Amino acid sequence: MIVEGSHFFPGPRDAVWTLLLDPDVLAKTMPGTASIARVADDRYEGTMAMGIGPITAAVFDVVITITDQAAPEHYTMQIEGRGKFGFTRGKAAVTLASEGTGTSMRYQADLVVGGKIAAVGQRLLDSVSKMMLRQGLDAMTRELEHRLAGGAA
Amino acid sequence: MKPPVFEYHRPDSLNEALALLGAHPDAKPLAGGQSLIPAMNFRLAAPGRLVDLNALDELAGIEETVEGGLRIGAMTRHRAVELSAAVAARAPLLAAAMPFIAHRQIRNRGTIGGSLAHADPAAELPAVVVALEAQLVLASSRGERMVPAAEFFTGLFATALEDGELITAIEIPAPPPRSGSAFLELARRHGDYALVGVTAVVILDSERRVTDARIVLFSVGEGPVRAARAEAALAGTTGDAAAREAAADAVQGDIDPSADIHASSAYRRQLASVLTRRALAAALGRAVDAAR
Repeated sequence: MIVEGSHFFPGPRDAVWTLLLDPDVLAKTMPGTASIARVADDRYEGTMAMGIGPITAAVFDVVITITDQAAPEHYTMQIEGRGKFGFTRGKAAVTLASEGTGTSMRYQADLVVGGKIAAVGQRLLDSVSKMMLRQGLDAMTRELEHRLAGGAA
Repeated sequence: MKPPVFEYHRPDSLNEALALLGAHPDAKPLAGGQSLIPAMNFRLAAPGRLVDLNALDELAGIEETVEGGLRIGAMTRHRAVELSAAVAARAPLLAAAMPFIAHRQIRNRGTIGGSLAHADPAAELPAVVVALEAQLVLASSRGERMVPAAEFFTGLFATALEDGELITAIEIPAPPPRSGSAFLELARRHGDYALVGVTAVVILDSERRVTDARIVLFSVGEGPVRAARAEAALAGTTGDAAAREAAADAVQGDIDPSADIHASSAYRRQLASVLTRRALAAALGRAVDAAR
């Protein structure tokens, strides 16, 4: 499954870079994220739950490894998720470019989803990932605006 | 597979059902069980308790209202709606959609309220009730409220239902004079989830120009998608071939369909245009007949 698109953040690139790699921000903004911690410079571990309609019980242990990091321009994430209901693995490339006073982000992810969740929910995977990504990016944008307005992190 | 352990309640009255749902945040209402029970059996859903609505005869049945519309109880089975002469006469769009809902065995058991509350993006009924400008009657232990269908669906499997709240009925207004409707969907096999579906209602003025067009698609987004650009392309025209073509082109700007193993996003977009063009031709033909 390929998920790609772009998103505009109303803030400078350095601030967006910091935001995207801050585990506390990720935990707060990514939908269904119960916890996420930076266990090494380039490695995050956490748990995420998918709650879509009748599916309320799909919990995944997630490991994200950052490779190919060139601050504040681009990085690649290796993503691995594993749970009772299936697995996901793949990578996502993120590129940031200054655009006026803001920052435009481009992302491209190539993910494989397998197991029961894929067997039962195949037709919904694309919609669900688009929705979760949009909710996450919108929440990150609000967090960025909050920080730029001088609010506490 | 078998579901995880749950508590089971089978109330005899709506008030009792609402009290149970209000008192237990882990309770899930059970209507026809055609989506919830498979999800539980796959162990993808694990509600702590079920409140079975199947003994609530007060929620089942189709009534003709004095205003010329319909009031359909939420626990009315799909098959009863499909076979109803009142529905065929007063909501032909709904009657046309019914045979496309899954298979007959599922329609014997599944309910109209259950399907609307589930809000599957590929389901027929959400698009139909939006196109018909129906009102949904919602009840909880806190009271009753009416929500227009267009405001009820808020996202992927997401609705305006609050905790402890149920759909009790669907109110469909009388068909406007000089109006016609059409329902079209394409699936790989009959009973499969639609690749794309289109519902259309067209209303003409006394000059036989389109005063109002409601085009609602499904299986192309997170829920029913109203095609505002396509509707605008048709409004004020006579609905001639050029106007229908313009609307069919415009519909591609109204949707952002997902891809799955059955169809790519681009294929769904193209299919949406084709089905919109055909649905509009059929709906306009019926509206012209009604205007005679």
